[in-house]
Amino acid sequence: MNKNRVKGHELGEVTCPTGFNWTNLKAELRAIWESSIKAWKIELAYPVSFLRQSVSPLIILLPFLIYGMVLVGGRYSENLERMVGTGDVVTFIFTGYVIMGFIGTAVWAMGFSIRGEQWFGTLESIFVTPTSRLSLVLGMALHSTVHQSIGTAVEFAIIYAVFGLGLKIGGILPALGIFVLMMLALYGFGILVSALSLVLKEGWIVAEGLHSIMMILSPVVYPLVVLPTVAQQASAIFPTAPALVGMRVFLIENYQPEVIGNIFLHLLALDAAWILFGILVFHLTDIYVRKKGSLEKY
Amino acid sequence: MDYTEDDGTYSIQTFDLTKRFTKKKHRGIFGFLRKERKQRKQQSESSRVTVALDHINIKIRSGELFGLLGPNGAGKTTLVKCLSTILIPDKGTAVVNGFDIRKQTSMVRASLGLVIGGERTLYWKLTARDNLMYFASLYKMPRNQAKERVEELLEKMQLSDRADERLEDYSTGMRQKIAIARSLLHDPSILLLDEPTLGLDPTFSKQIRGQIRELSDKHGKTILLTTHYMDEADQLCDRVAFINDGKVVAVDDPDSLKATVKETELVEITCFNPPLDVERHLKSLCPGVDIITLVHGDETKGNPSKIKIIGGNAEEHISTAIDALRKKNVRISSLNVGVPTLEDVFIKLTGAKLAEGEGRG
Amino acid sequence: MPRNVLLQSSAKSNFFIVWSEVVKNLKFLLAYPIVFVFWAIFPIFWFIPFVLQGQAFVGGLQSPSFGEVAGTEEFIPFIILGAILNSYVLTSLYGMGESIRREAYRGTLDYILSSPCNKAFILIGKALSESFSSTLYAISQLAISILFFGMELTLGIIMPVIFIIILLILGLYGLALILAAASLRYKQAHDMAHALEYVFYVFSPVRYPVASLPLWGQIIGRLLPLTYALIAVRSLILLKQNLPAIYLEILALLIIDGIMILTGFYLFNWMEEKTKTSGTISHY
Ligand SMILES: Nc1ncnc2c1ncn2[C@@H]1O[C@H](COP(=O)(O)OP(=O)(O)OP(=O)(O)O)[C@@H](O)[C@H]1O
Ligand SMILES: [Mg+2]
Repeated sequence: MNKNRVKGHELGEVTCPTGFNWTNLKAELRAIWESSIKAWKIELAYPVSFLRQSVSPLIILLPFLIYGMVLVGGRYSENLERMVGTGDVVTFIFTGYVIMGFIGTAVWAMGFSIRGEQWFGTLESIFVTPTSRLSLVLGMALHSTVHQSIGTAVEFAIIYAVFGLGLKIGGILPALGIFVLMMLALYGFGILVSALSLVLKEGWIVAEGLHSIMMILSPVVYPLVVLPTVAQQASAIFPTAPALVGMRVFLIENYQPEVIGNIFLHLLALDAAWILFGILVFHLTDIYVRKKGSLEKY
Repeated sequence: MDYTEDDGTYSIQTFDLTKRFTKKKHRGIFGFLRKERKQRKQQSESSRVTVALDHINIKIRSGELFGLLGPNGAGKTTLVKCLSTILIPDKGTAVVNGFDIRKQTSMVRASLGLVIGGERTLYWKLTARDNLMYFASLYKMPRNQAKERVEELLEKMQLSDRADERLEDYSTGMRQKIAIARSLLHDPSILLLDEPTLGLDPTFSKQIRGQIRELSDKHGKTILLTTHYMDEADQLCDRVAFINDGKVVAVDDPDSLKATVKETELVEITCFNPPLDVERHLKSLCPGVDIITLVHGDETKGNPSKIKIIGGNAEEHISTAIDALRKKNVRISSLNVGVPTLEDVFIKLTGAKLAEGEGRG
Repeated sequence: MPRNVLLQSSAKSNFFIVWSEVVKNLKFLLAYPIVFVFWAIFPIFWFIPFVLQGQAFVGGLQSPSFGEVAGTEEFIPFIILGAILNSYVLTSLYGMGESIRREAYRGTLDYILSSPCNKAFILIGKALSESFSSTLYAISQLAISILFFGMELTLGIIMPVIFIIILLILGLYGLALILAAASLRYKQAHDMAHALEYVFYVFSPVRYPVASLPLWGQIIGRLLPLTYALIAVRSLILLKQNLPAIYLEILALLIIDGIMILTGFYLFNWMEEKTKTSGTISHY
């Protein structure tokens, strides 16, 4: 494997897969897997934190639910039904809220995976290994996605038991398909944030800003039509808006989407765009940081 | 890049490697409103830029244990970081194990083991075994091979019985051993060790030095070791490079370096409580001497300070110096003539002291 | 050491401690302008979804069923006031604990704790500067709300509102002291702050009136100073009532303030004594 050596240097053997081939891909996948396992181990080493994070999604959901129900004095909203064909406030909010945690995956878990290593002091040690730096970020993505999925399942069970949800069981599979397409674009987004958080000192503010903007521009607790037209158009650049509309079409009885279009094509285009853009910026910041020598600074 | 003078037998070779850092001033947001603005414009380029590496050209042979010696801020760590692709140099390049550090980063990384300073370069919340297994996967080792290798290394570091404890419960020295074990996981032919014994007690330092020597002798590793303990470099290294202010001042084996200081050129007086202006005072009394320098010892712990008179006709001034010290009520505990250490060589070459409070090892 | 010298100068020197702490923290504030802008603007982003949600669900700006429990049908000013007062809670929950954590991380905490002054005064300095910046944030958020969300404010109620906010802040100081005490001892005090944030978020009438909670939830809500402050401020601004009309809320706030501050001081001094003997501070 000692290819491309500088002319005349025939030295120690190096056995490390590189380039586009199956052995190398397998090695990178294993690095992603091990990174996600490592993230679990570290997370579980802080049990109090882990517990708190486990209940927090439910806590954030509650005000949306209670507030919504107080507003309409029950769980039926005439106005909502006029807009999207279904008036069940609880089901509407819950189906929207499900993706909130996954926005968190992209923005916080992935976005701050590299920053976290900086905090642990291990970043340089990781960056001198031949594994791609992306694998570290993707390892975190895997960890956080699994984590969120478990959390969402528990949340679903609790809300279902307490309120009951009017969902079409048959729609779950196609909704999952849309979900996966959404996640791919969010991963691209997460890669972008992880790059930004490495070069910007106040990276958390950028992340918080992106998080809030994505939240406002997504039809999480209201249909898209209540947004001003400009905002509705802007929401098309985030995968969450088309994905939510699409998932609700499959999951909720009588749901008439507020914006119509080819959701699958839209999501595929967003996937390609966000992943490529994310990787590009990631690559550029990697070079920038190695030139500046600001890798280990927190 | 043309790799001139390249004869192919060096494990590490640098070509005019140069790295500059811009100094940042932290002045707050409204800082730009303040008066300093004018002043700053006037400041010359040189005062705003740190030249951490200045056209470094070194060649390290295969299987050599090479020491890089220099005071704080000399650029040692920067060199190690450039070689390990953590930093991209501004100018020049280096070839590591036959791979260009600018173009073939993955192969360079796969060829290297790195131990870099810092309290936390491992996960304190994971066990030693977990740490090593994780990094093995980052070095793209197959799982079975990784397992075997981790056990072997734990055995070698005599930490097998504690392998399942979290690193937060380890001592600094034990953590350092795990850091060294990590650098050996993929059995690289080249090791870069940045101050591997910093902050360790003498017993641990000795153990680690033994291991470094063994890696070089038995396993034929090429090792670049940075340190500012000259004893360490003297004992361990086949060859030593002095680096000061980003420049290589001299490269040779320790004995040859020491031979550059002639017997008549060195007088060392160990004493307690020398007055602060002793350097200037003696300098005025001893014409024809290159350098007179005071190395403070940790006197509260019984280590005396040293006054070194180096260069020119040092030997001729022994009695003058001793008389002068007596007059100032300085207690002299011993006198050394003509037995130079690496530090003396360094002082002679640069006029700068290598480290305050020497003699850790 | 001549003890009386210390005692004589103590009033003056304590004031100096508070003062220099305030100056130091304000300098930090100016050194991180983005953080400043963040807190001045972002709480707005957090309540925008609630505004839009309300409009989508009721199709207008008034909700009769909301009026039944809240006393006002106008839900938008209701949640705007909730969000603004809640940001005082957030800054005092995280501000002081965070600033202690920061000192611990920087390594300056040991020096501060080994200085001969009463550490609680340092904390008061921190808290004062915290409130100062919180007030700047609140003013900015209020201005944005008046400009963009049609909030209305008459000049006459500004003084009473400030009075209520001061009562709220005093209670929060006590809470912050309790958290500071915890963060001296427990590495995971940050999680405690989060947990408290959740309690305030769910059980105080930040987004919806307390009456819409089940009975046990209402009881928890009634233990929190933010609940009374919110009821009082909303009565003043939205229901146009005057101070005497809300004497019960004021009384409740005073009682809670007293309890919180006494507990806070006591716990903090106790913890500090304990950390000194067990030496767990730099263990961070
Ligand atoms: N990331 C950076 N940004 C700015 N300046 C830097 C950076 N890294 C190093 N420097 C500067 O470069 C010079 C060389 O530093 P370096 O860390 O290489 O020294 P060193 O020889 O390793 O010293 P020590 O013995 O203290 O470890 C110093 O003046 C340092 O301030
Ligand atoms: Mg160094």
